[in-house]
Amino acid sequence: MLSPNILLLACLCYVALLFAVAFAVDLRTRKRPIEWLHSPIIYTLSISVYCTSWTFYGAVGFAARNGLEFITIYLGPTLVFVGWWWLLRKLVRIGRAHRITSIADLISSRYGKSPSLAVLVTLIALIATTPYIALQLQSVTHSYQVISGEADGIRTAFWVAAGMALFTILFGTRNLDANERHHGVVAAIALEAVVKLIALLAVGIFATYGLGGGFGKIFADLPPEAIRGAGEIFGPRWAILTFLSATAIICLPRQFQVTVVENIEERHLSTASWLFPLYLLGMTIFIMPIALVGQQVMPEGSNPDLYVLTLPLAEQRHDLALLAFLGGFSSATSMVIVAAIAVSTMVSNHIVMPVALKLLAANHAVSGDVRSLLLISRRVSIAVILGLGFLYFWISGGSDALAAIGLIAFVGVAQFMPSLLGGIFWRGATRAAALSGLIVGFVLWAYTLFLPSFGGELILGPELLKDGPWGIGALRPQALLGLSGLDPLVHAVVWSVGANALVFIVVSSLTQSDALERLQGALFVDVYRAAGGAPSSISAESANSEDLFILAQRILGAEPARRLFDEMAKIQGTPSGLPHPTDSVIARLERELAGSIGAASAHAMVTRIAGRETVGITELIDIADETQRLIVTSQQLAEKTVELESAAQQLRTANERLRALDAQKDEFLSQISHELRTPMTSIRSFADILKDSKGVSAKDRKRFVSIIHEESIRLTRLLDEILDISRLEAGTTDLELEPIDVNAAIATAVETVSGMTTNTGVDVRSVPGPSGLSVSANADRLRQVLINILSNAVKYNRSDTPEIEIRTENAGGIVWIDVIDNGGGITPEDADLVFEKFARGSRSGNDPGAGLGLPISRAIMRAMRGDLTVKFADDGTSFFRLRLLRHQ
Amino acid sequence: MADRAHLQLHRRKLHDRSIALVLVGMVLLMPPVVGVGLIEGDIAGIPIPLLYVFVVWTLLIIGAAALSRPLRDSEDLVSSQDAPDNSD
Repeated sequence: MLSPNILLLACLCYVALLFAVAFAVDLRTRKRPIEWLHSPIIYTLSISVYCTSWTFYGAVGFAARNGLEFITIYLGPTLVFVGWWWLLRKLVRIGRAHRITSIADLISSRYGKSPSLAVLVTLIALIATTPYIALQLQSVTHSYQVISGEADGIRTAFWVAAGMALFTILFGTRNLDANERHHGVVAAIALEAVVKLIALLAVGIFATYGLGGGFGKIFADLPPEAIRGAGEIFGPRWAILTFLSATAIICLPRQFQVTVVENIEERHLSTASWLFPLYLLGMTIFIMPIALVGQQVMPEGSNPDLYVLTLPLAEQRHDLALLAFLGGFSSATSMVIVAAIAVSTMVSNHIVMPVALKLLAANHAVSGDVRSLLLISRRVSIAVILGLGFLYFWISGGSDALAAIGLIAFVGVAQFMPSLLGGIFWRGATRAAALSGLIVGFVLWAYTLFLPSFGGELILGPELLKDGPWGIGALRPQALLGLSGLDPLVHAVVWSVGANALVFIVVSSLTQSDALERLQGALFVDVYRAAGGAPSSISAESANSEDLFILAQRILGAEPARRLFDEMAKIQGTPSGLPHPTDSVIARLERELAGSIGAASAHAMVTRIAGRETVGITELIDIADETQRLIVTSQQLAEKTVELESAAQQLRTANERLRALDAQKDEFLSQISHELRTPMTSIRSFADILKDSKGVSAKDRKRFVSIIHEESIRLTRLLDEILDISRLEAGTTDLELEPIDVNAAIATAVETVSGMTTNTGVDVRSVPGPSGLSVSANADRLRQVLINILSNAVKYNRSDTPEIEIRTENAGGIVWIDVIDNGGGITPEDADLVFEKFARGSRSGNDPGAGLGLPISRAIMRAMRGDLTVKFADDGTSFFRLRLLRHQ
Repeated sequence: MADRAHLQLHRRKLHDRSIALVLVGMVLLMPPVVGVGLIEGDIAGIPIPLLYVFVVWTLLIIGAAALSRPLRDSEDLVSSQDAPDNSD
């Protein structure tokens, strides 16, 4: 025996270490996050809170009684973690997106933030957790008694419970914000996880190699029953136990707390997916050898549940016994602390808060700091939960079979499974179905497993257990409807979970869900797709920013609330003051509050302040299912295709135009070369004559030089014209437009060509427009055009009595100047051709002009926002029409 | 386009592998298949049922470890630095 004093001292030192770690981490995290604490290893170690003292001590007892069957308790979680991608990842994502604080919060959130569901889940969790906590107290007490010889178990249990309550209150309820995460506690839990693994491995190695002489020797000459257990091991019970443990790793309130709520980064889950199963493997690898060695070494009748402790003690290895004790202590305390935090969060959020809300309902704006109320209620809840655990332990007086209690709790929380899985994978699941499934499952669990576990001492008497109520055999708790011959555990699971799931499915298919429920359902089931979406909506006009601010202050605390509201105001663009209570502001606030007090309570509080509850049209549109999204997507695709097609068409048109322009340019170039070639040829030939022939007379010489001179002038003019037209067509010449009197401009032009007309005897008549009619044009250029047209009319007129008539008209802001001559006109075929560069009408004959006059004139007119066209009168004669904008 | 489709295919294959691993684990560790391990006798001194369960378990862990990183990289997981904040 170890002296009680040394044991107590070791215990206190260990507890002090845990306090110090939790305290230091909490303190540091407030300043800035600690890197290594955010590692996936810490996350995985915290999940190992699954291995309670039931594993540490109980697994050996389980193995001693039922052989290899104990392993099922660790195979279920292994399968769940190996398949993390399909279930845990979704749970964690939902937990983060909706600031879920507990499993009760998750289920109630999913089913329309239902308060009644939250209360029901909380109660089941509380009832299932209490015996489990009692079990931990018992194991610590028993181990303490064994190692120190102390007789008074109750007193030990009391102090253990009190110490854990203190630790949990200190580190579990320091703050309410930060999504209900407890860094200090997690660090302490991780440390305990390491201690219990090392302790169990140490005892295992000692037992296997120190006492048993290695694996081979332990298993030698072993009756098959030692491995196989008494019954048929790989039967229904094996499958049911694996299923139960798989369920428990998700549904146990403490597992939900560490896996989902305390998750810092989703990718930690990927590491935990193999590291946690590896941890479990490490915890269990020596269980079987310890059990076998214990049975061989220890005297008949010693409790196999305590082999881990009694084996080293019997061999006088006190150091190892102390380590084992601390390992067991670690397993027990970490479970109790996390379970107390998880359940107290549920109790205070879903039971205490709603009641407090009702009491405060009369005057919500005055006094009553909800924040401190919340903290107090959570602390009291922790004390009450541990008190209940202690009470249970005291009354039950300590049962010997630890494993039974653990399994009963597993079946209890397994009732959450249908609602949970249905809720996150099936949109059709309804609140009524979740409620009825849970109630049916819970009642059957209590009737077939929980109450019978008291052996006829609580509510159900021994006669009732044996013969059924009122002697009706069909209602016997452990053989319901005559389903006998099954293991009581299998029987209870088949009935409770089976009926629960069946009722859940049937009622879901029969009932309707309301708008909020459908919305939450859609957000949960499609959590990966829904990048956002307001979780809920309240009619905004009735909400009052000040009331909301007061509410936030009371729950989040003054400073965080101010920061939150400042940020929301900034997003809205309000420089100072409170944000306008839009739907998004209210939804955001509700989510922030949900992180502290759970979705249902947050929803109830915000709704109460904001007035009546409605779900907005936009949210209803959000609910639109996948088909709708697909339709939208395919419509967008179709639009894109049409756009693409039209763009391709435009490209094709542009390409054709470019080709045409390219052809025109080639033609233009060849025409230019041709036109330039004619004068150049004559210049060159005359220059050759002058150069070579010495017998050229002076007179001829003079004539040749003057021809060369004329041709050069013609060449220069041609080049000028080409330059002019290319500039005009490219739009690089900006003509300055000014108001010009049309009649005066025409008179000037006629005056200019008067020399020509007089010589040829052309009669020019002008029908002027209204006096003072002015157009917007460039004076020089307009005169250039007019002279060009008039001189053409003079030059190409082959009539005997040549005449030209200039008629000016105007209508609707446009002025026409028609130049009509009786010289023979242009054939309709030539009408377009005359405006081509270097083209000459059939009238032109041997005219020496380059054929650029008309194209230039048209380009000028167009540059002045007018036009020059050939028109045909009713009698078939043609005339030129100048169109100009009237100056306003 | 082709790269995207290829990536998509790669991801789907990964997800298929992850679910295949779980299904294989379930079948191997559940009755009736787990009963195959109930052969009398031992290998290296360790009874076959015990060895069978632990070997399957170890293989599952190795499989999960092999898939863990590719799965993690196949999709952007949310971390606290970029917590989904979709309030506005």
